[in-house]
Amino acid sequence: MDNFSPGSIQPKAKKTFGGKTSMGVTCVCQVPVAEGKSVQQTVDTLHKKLEQLGAVKQGSFWVDCETYHPTGNVSGQPSKLLYVMHNSETPLSCIALFEGGPCLIADTNFDVLMVKLKSHFQNAKAHKVECRGSRYRYCDFLIKVGTVTMSSSARGISVEVEYCPCVVPGDCWNLTKEFMQSFLGPSVPELPSVFAAKPEGLFAPSDCVDTMTQYLELFNKLRKMQIPGSNVR
Amino acid sequence: MSGGPAVRVSIESSCEKQVQEVALDGTETYVPPLSMSQNLAKLAQRIDFSQGSDSEEDGTEGEPRDREWSKQEPEEEEGTVKFQPSLWPWDSVRNNLRSALTEMCVLHDVLSVVKEKKYMALDPVSQDPTTPQVFQLISKKKSLGTAAQLLLKGAEKLNKSVAENQENRRQRDFNSELLRLRSQWKLRKVGDKILGDLSYRSAGSLFPHHGTFEVIKNTDIDLDKKVPEDYCPLDVQIPSDLEGSAYIKVSIQKQAPDIGDLGTVNLFRRPPKTKAGTQLWHVKLEAAQNVLLCKEIFAQLSREAVQIKSQIPHIVVKNQIISQPFPGLQLSISLCHFTGEKKNHRASPEKPKSDDHLYVLEHNLHQMMREFHKQQLSSVVMPHPASAPFGHKRMRLAGPMAYDKAEISSLQQSEGLLEKIIKQAKHIFLRSRTARTIDSLAIRIEDPQIQAHWSNINDVYESSVKVLITSQGYEQICKIHSTKCSLTLCLWPK
Repeated sequence: MDNFSPGSIQPKAKKTFGGKTSMGVTCVCQVPVAEGKSVQQTVDTLHKKLEQLGAVKQGSFWVDCETYHPTGNVSGQPSKLLYVMHNSETPLSCIALFEGGPCLIADTNFDVLMVKLKSHFQNAKAHKVECRGSRYRYCDFLIKVGTVTMSSSARGISVEVEYCPCVVPGDCWNLTKEFMQSFLGPSVPELPSVFAAKPEGLFAPSDCVDTMTQYLELFNKLRKMQIPGSNVR
Repeated sequence: MSGGPAVRVSIESSCEKQVQEVALDGTETYVPPLSMSQNLAKLAQRIDFSQGSDSEEDGTEGEPRDREWSKQEPEEEEGTVKFQPSLWPWDSVRNNLRSALTEMCVLHDVLSVVKEKKYMALDPVSQDPTTPQVFQLISKKKSLGTAAQLLLKGAEKLNKSVAENQENRRQRDFNSELLRLRSQWKLRKVGDKILGDLSYRSAGSLFPHHGTFEVIKNTDIDLDKKVPEDYCPLDVQIPSDLEGSAYIKVSIQKQAPDIGDLGTVNLFRRPPKTKAGTQLWHVKLEAAQNVLLCKEIFAQLSREAVQIKSQIPHIVVKNQIISQPFPGLQLSISLCHFTGEKKNHRASPEKPKSDDHLYVLEHNLHQMMREFHKQQLSSVVMPHPASAPFGHKRMRLAGPMAYDKAEISSLQQSEGLLEKIIKQAKHIFLRSRTARTIDSLAIRIEDPQIQAHWSNINDVYESSVKVLITSQGYEQICKIHSTKCSLTLCLWPK
């Protein structure tokens, strides 16, 4: 008979509290709408390609972004806009960031806080951008194909590819690019500038802030596309 | 007389005078004799008026009283004749004599009237020698009466105090019972009612049943009569849907049941175990709490059975949940609530089949439910800020740390009660099947010899057995490890 020792009894359901599995390296890029086709058709084409590849659909995702103007700006310089973004991958968080500036990862109560700070930050409701779509999983890759909409009008298509096992962009960029080539074809993007902009370069670990920054750039690009030349205020 | 010279004759009393004094010269001084009046006074004073005279007493029996009086009268008259008013010493004598005469006259008159028997009669006085005793008795009776009054008053007071004591005891009994009740159950006073809480809400349950019971005073019994054995001054009234006793019956059956049998699980009643010395209210409250817990467990299981999608859907019929852990095997979990109605009990014919009830799984269900309760209130969760929701403390970091879904689900309870119990049932089934297989192999195969040593310490999901396969000449050690859903056989030849 075995000696009774607590170690020999295995716990019923092991719960890993300490192990935080971080997000992998993500790359967000825009896919141009195919000639003569609508946004939805292009998206369906992408879906088919992915399914042919062997990816499995795993639900849906959404990313949205709200814009806030800070009020009470003394100097004549255009004030920096505050963007508050949500991601379905981190359902309990929201990320607030200035473009190219500091960012903050907070609980979802941050939205309520922004309401309280109405006097300092005005919500530009017309500038809310959303991106919704399906989520596909292909082995270690997570592919999200979404339609970017602004005030319920589709503006473009976004594709996010995440390589989950790796956090260092420098190690997996080539692999990710090759994978994207297999279904995106010619519209494969270059290395996202967020990775290059970091002080340590490509070998700094990436996190969700990088993802959201990429989304923000994409949204801003898409927003500016429809309203060319105007200063977004 | 003639002739002769007158002879003086002197008469002299012959009495000698008393000599008073003899002088030195021989002369005698005589006491002067009493004069006649003095002598008479002296004699009169000697008369004793309280006595009758001697001459009356001698031979006066036959004489009429008149003669006596007549005798007396002259004597009295003589006395009065001789009385001379100038002699004041005779005054008292005179008065006495006069009063005596008066009395005598009266007596004479009365007697003469009585003698005629016309106007007065003589009757003997009733001889009542106890007259003084009656008075004594009356006085004794009065004093006894006073004493009795005092004693009665005292007795009344004692009676009153005894009655008050009894009343107090009844009240105190109620209060001491209430104290005992309060030491084990949560009570609160609402208005003039005493309500209690027998739900597990304070222990972390989220079941919406209120679980309120009411404490009732039961002090109406007459203490003079014999107190019944199970008398308790306190009674509890439990909610009507928690009456009776309940248990969860978990059983594994090989064959699929008939459709008609679903939902009619045998309500085999287990008699409640009552320890000696436990009060009725305790038994009642415990049974009600058990019923509540069983209901909660069953509600949770049925909710999960309906909501959680699995490959083979679970069937929920009335008070029974049926699922299939393995093909051909059926796990049935049912809530048996016995409310004390006899008719249900008699109608069930499947009494002998209650042997397949797996007590272990029932116990595990209870344990898991309680663990779930505890998790709601565990130190990982409590204390927590008033504005924060319930949940694991690390969940508060989920926002700022940008946890993704995998991490969030790892923090939260992923498996429901039903999944856990199905896994445990699978494990039990696999273990028994493994044991049977090994035993049958050991019986069938003679060479090499197979021995199985099952470990005493097992998990609900895992067991371990050491199988020794020995053969003459050389040894082999093999190990079989049984896990939740599959059997893996590892062989290490030596």
